[in-house]
Amino acid sequence: MAAPRVGIIGIGQSAFKSRRDDANYPDLVREAVRLCLADAKLGFDEIEAVVYSLSPDAMVGIGNAERLGVDAVGARNKRFLRINTGGSTGISSVAAAYYHVAAGACDVVLTAGADKVGECGASQTVLNKIWDPTYERPLPLGTISMLAMSATRYMHKYGMKEEDMARVVVKNRAHAARTPNAHLRKPTTIDEVMASRYLCWPIKLFDACPQSSGGCALVLASERYIREHNLDAVWITGVGHCSETYYIGDRMGNGFTADHADAFALGRSFQRAYRMAGIKEPRKTVDVAELYSPFSNTEFHAIEAAGLASLGESVSRMREGQYAIEGDLPVNPSGGTVCTNAIAVTAMVRVAEIALQMWDRAGEHQVQGAKIGIASGNGGDHQFFGTMVIEA
Amino acid sequence: MPYNTESGVIGAAIHAPITAVNRSLEEILYDVVQAALRDANLVIDDIEGIVVACNDQLDGRAISVMAASGSVGGVDRDILSTPSSSEHAFVLGTLRVASGQYRTQLIVSWSPTEVNSISEAERLANDPYFHRALPLDEISAGALQAVALENAVPKARDLALAVVAKNRRNGALAYPSASGGTADPAAMAVSPVKSWPLREAMVAAPVTGAVALVLASEDFIAERGYEQVAWLRGMGWATEASFLGDRDLSCAPALEAARTRAYGEAGITDPIGAIDVAEVTDATPYQELMAYEGLGLCARDRWSARLSAGDFEPGGTMPINPSGGVLCINPVFCSGLIRIAEAAAQVLGRAREHQIPNARTAVAHAASGFAMQYQTVVVLGGKPARSN
Repeated sequence: MAAPRVGIIGIGQSAFKSRRDDANYPDLVREAVRLCLADAKLGFDEIEAVVYSLSPDAMVGIGNAERLGVDAVGARNKRFLRINTGGSTGISSVAAAYYHVAAGACDVVLTAGADKVGECGASQTVLNKIWDPTYERPLPLGTISMLAMSATRYMHKYGMKEEDMARVVVKNRAHAARTPNAHLRKPTTIDEVMASRYLCWPIKLFDACPQSSGGCALVLASERYIREHNLDAVWITGVGHCSETYYIGDRMGNGFTADHADAFALGRSFQRAYRMAGIKEPRKTVDVAELYSPFSNTEFHAIEAAGLASLGESVSRMREGQYAIEGDLPVNPSGGTVCTNAIAVTAMVRVAEIALQMWDRAGEHQVQGAKIGIASGNGGDHQFFGTMVIEA
Repeated sequence: MPYNTESGVIGAAIHAPITAVNRSLEEILYDVVQAALRDANLVIDDIEGIVVACNDQLDGRAISVMAASGSVGGVDRDILSTPSSSEHAFVLGTLRVASGQYRTQLIVSWSPTEVNSISEAERLANDPYFHRALPLDEISAGALQAVALENAVPKARDLALAVVAKNRRNGALAYPSASGGTADPAAMAVSPVKSWPLREAMVAAPVTGAVALVLASEDFIAERGYEQVAWLRGMGWATEASFLGDRDLSCAPALEAARTRAYGEAGITDPIGAIDVAEVTDATPYQELMAYEGLGLCARDRWSARLSAGDFEPGGTMPINPSGGVLCINPVFCSGLIRIAEAAAQVLGRAREHQIPNARTAVAHAASGFAMQYQTVVVLGGKPARSN
């Protein structure tokens, strides 16, 4: 069946920061919703359903914290549900909102959320609790050590150097400096990145995303509603998801189900989104990408999983500057996840940023002439992957 | 019917209570998923997408959906998760099929009991500043709701005892090894107070459980030649505010909103005569009473007369909870999705000992959160909407 056309008609984002002492958790959600509804020129009465974007409860210290957000998103007595796929929650929430509209159940749906990662205490201690309590939790696993192992494997297979990882950070910080809502906006150098302390070899402090606080919201609408109300929109033309194994050990050693260096399921997810959008040659078709990569090394395998480079090829292309805003195929022109990570909405920000690019509303980090963009989100222990194609 | 593609339930499995102590969570999930696939006469390769619902606090895992990857068949497949409630997984799975982008969906939820204190796990859902210090959990919130209803409806406690007795009799027939406790109102009335006015014998202790359903699109159903299908006829879901102090707990406006939408989609103007059987959430008997009203099955001033007349018994004019409901088997988090699975089983004609003869249209009511914050109503029928 042909995919029904679903458009994005409003975007709201916080200016992400380490702390937001001026706003509690529902306040941050409300901030994003207020900005989004103003952008869409809609009131709460026009919103038929709400998809709430929130990753681990433990990150905000409240069980089922979406319940406290009901009034923040104006959902009382309306259709409401929450999505959680870890770090990919934000893009999974946009997908869930998409299905509300594509199913014919709603014309206008709000998806929104927020996070206060910078105020949660020790996020890596929380994130260690995502692993199986018997087999893998006793290891010193966190999301940093998990993806440090991916980095070493990627180094072994493809020859990536620590300086190559630093190059990703330098590019993305330069992009973030042009993005008003980004968290880490100070440009940096390869020398500075290399001089920063190790968190878990080969990932250093500057290779790692910050812990951000802030919210994001989008309004999606049916093509009929958009036409009838003469609204401006950009269009979701491809949606995909795919999952890997739970156990990190299943991605290593002899007989692994997928190589931890690469992002097998992210690739499969992109293939699904491209198929839906009718994209056969992404390298020739995609104008700009916002790829979820919380650590510098993972941007390489994300680029490759998106079909924008062959396995291992993105390193040399990064050296050539092809993924800068002025390059052949800009990746993360907003600065990406390595500059801003409010986990519950980080993957929604990827969609929001591509939507802004398609709208020609990205300001100083606009990629000129971009007409087709892609976004992705990674969640769990590099396990859940969501992808989208957005078109002008 | 607003949906772009019609869909229906073609298979289900309810595993509750699970008493074997030697089954890991992943084995429990594998068992229930395989049972649902067998019920649908499918294999995992036929499944295009999965929606899972579980609760981090009860599971003791952050992002508890992660544990589902291998055990439910999610590797190289598509998993989304709705931790807000188990019934929301059904909602999202249905929307995915209705969008035309999927032909099948596997819906899975579970609820373990290994946590040291379920009450303490539930209390984490209170905001940390105003309510966390209160002993506010599912039972005490249900008790506050019961008090509100007792203040609004004369002799509500007697009616609540009658509801428990009815459901325990049903449960003894439906699931003889797990009927929840006494069906004698006199014995209930003198059992120790759990959280006033709820007494221990008026609720069921939490048990471990898991449930899985298989959804399919109309073209998949036609292609495979399924004759027994519980077609989606209408679906509504809504939420109330979180703070109990912001709500009149004797009323259920979100249930009314959900019911209005579900019945509207199903073309039901008067549920009496249109619905053959109902499975409703009854974590407390007072919740079942509120469901009578919220589903338009019986106004509160008629509760006493109709309960006395046996109208809600399996042989009555409007059978409600022939499975025995949550008052008999209480896998806390997934009890809502089990109501939908029970309603589907009635329409599919697979409800075994508690099958209501000639049940062609069933309504499922699922509620979650403190004092039924989230309300979901699903109408299932033996024929697709377009056959009307």
